[in-house]
Amino acid sequence: MIDFHTHPVLIREFVSKYPDYERSARDIFGIGNNFQPLETFFLQMDVAHIDRAVLLPIECSRARGVAVSTNDQVSELCGMSDRFIGFASVDPDRQGAVKELEHAIRDLGLHGLKLDPALQDFDSTGNAAMDVYAAAEGLGIPLLIHTGMSWAPGTAIGRGKPVDLEPAIRRFPELNFVLAHFGWPWVWETVALMMKYPNVYADTSGLYYDSPHEFFQFVFREQIPVTIIERSLRNRVVFGSNYPRVEIKNMVRALHSLPLTEGCRELILRENAERLLPKATSQAGVRR
Amino acid sequence: MIIKLEKVQLQTRKSEEAIDITPRVQEIVKTSGVSSGIVNIMTMHTSSGMLVTEGIPCLEEDILTHLAHLCPEDRNYRHRRYLDFDGRLGFNADAHLKSVLGGIACSFPIENGKMVKGSRQTIYFMEYDGPLERTYTVQIMGE
Repeated sequence: MIDFHTHPVLIREFVSKYPDYERSARDIFGIGNNFQPLETFFLQMDVAHIDRAVLLPIECSRARGVAVSTNDQVSELCGMSDRFIGFASVDPDRQGAVKELEHAIRDLGLHGLKLDPALQDFDSTGNAAMDVYAAAEGLGIPLLIHTGMSWAPGTAIGRGKPVDLEPAIRRFPELNFVLAHFGWPWVWETVALMMKYPNVYADTSGLYYDSPHEFFQFVFREQIPVTIIERSLRNRVVFGSNYPRVEIKNMVRALHSLPLTEGCRELILRENAERLLPKATSQAGVRR
Repeated sequence: MIIKLEKVQLQTRKSEEAIDITPRVQEIVKTSGVSSGIVNIMTMHTSSGMLVTEGIPCLEEDILTHLAHLCPEDRNYRHRRYLDFDGRLGFNADAHLKSVLGGIACSFPIENGKMVKGSRQTIYFMEYDGPLERTYTVQIMGE
């Protein structure tokens, strides 16, 4: 099973190694949990039966003064274990973003692009963003983009409207867009985009109130009917936990609480992610 | 009068587990230099605990099962809300309640430089929301 949405922001080993790491976790990402040894990350994956996790950095140093994990840090973690699949992040509004992305994919061995228009404070419909989307399409990597509400302090909710991405989705049909957090609260926008465009996916990492179980029951059974996923979107949803904002095990359990068939669950928990990340998930692509 | 405090790190490996820390505490007492006094052992977390019971696997399982029965995960807890100071939601009220019910500390006398305990008494660090690296304190007071 693959977790498509984790943030390596609480790795104890990085606190002393990288001077900005703690400030970034506390003030920019906005999380108060204790830093934990890397071993805890793997154990959290183990108890949730997750084999591999996508690590997401956010290059928000222009907007927030410091990045929330860097490409180099993610690459370093991926070098420690083939259970990690690293994504890159670049700031579209900074000169050299395209070159930086190419370097991250070709030289650092990262496998996808992560963007967060709210935390990075850029216009997801602007020309600078289009250049980065074009580069990602050319590199053959997926884009995991934050949609919906963001918990990070100082971020604007309006930056996360899924339908704002439609021009880019139409302009780059070969670029797979993975809409994070299912775009909550704009879940229907996310569903509509997924139904209309074959290059749109969503991850399940939404959790904004109650427990994971209760949230999933409401969003995927009341806000939208679960049959939409089972019948129409089973090939377009990937499991994401948003760890460490929530423990992976709780999100896996929440997913299992939905009345989905075994085949549909297998697609969400593994096969769709493998299709999005063929190089990273094939044997040949595994870093040793 | 000697007062010594040691903080011990412990990596738990499961969501819930009972970990026998008796040998570690005995060793700390032994090397403390205290001949007569008291040792107090306390977890520093609110979703873990400290228990003393007979050290056999069936009881470890029974305790965890019974606590889970008393504090089910799926109850309508008020704690299930966004905690702005943590940047995340709280949905582990069951773990906190288990900690409250089971307790977070235990104490033993020290005599002739050794911890005094019943032959079957075992000190357990109780993980209710792991796996996590945890810390417990061992404080020794005496002379």
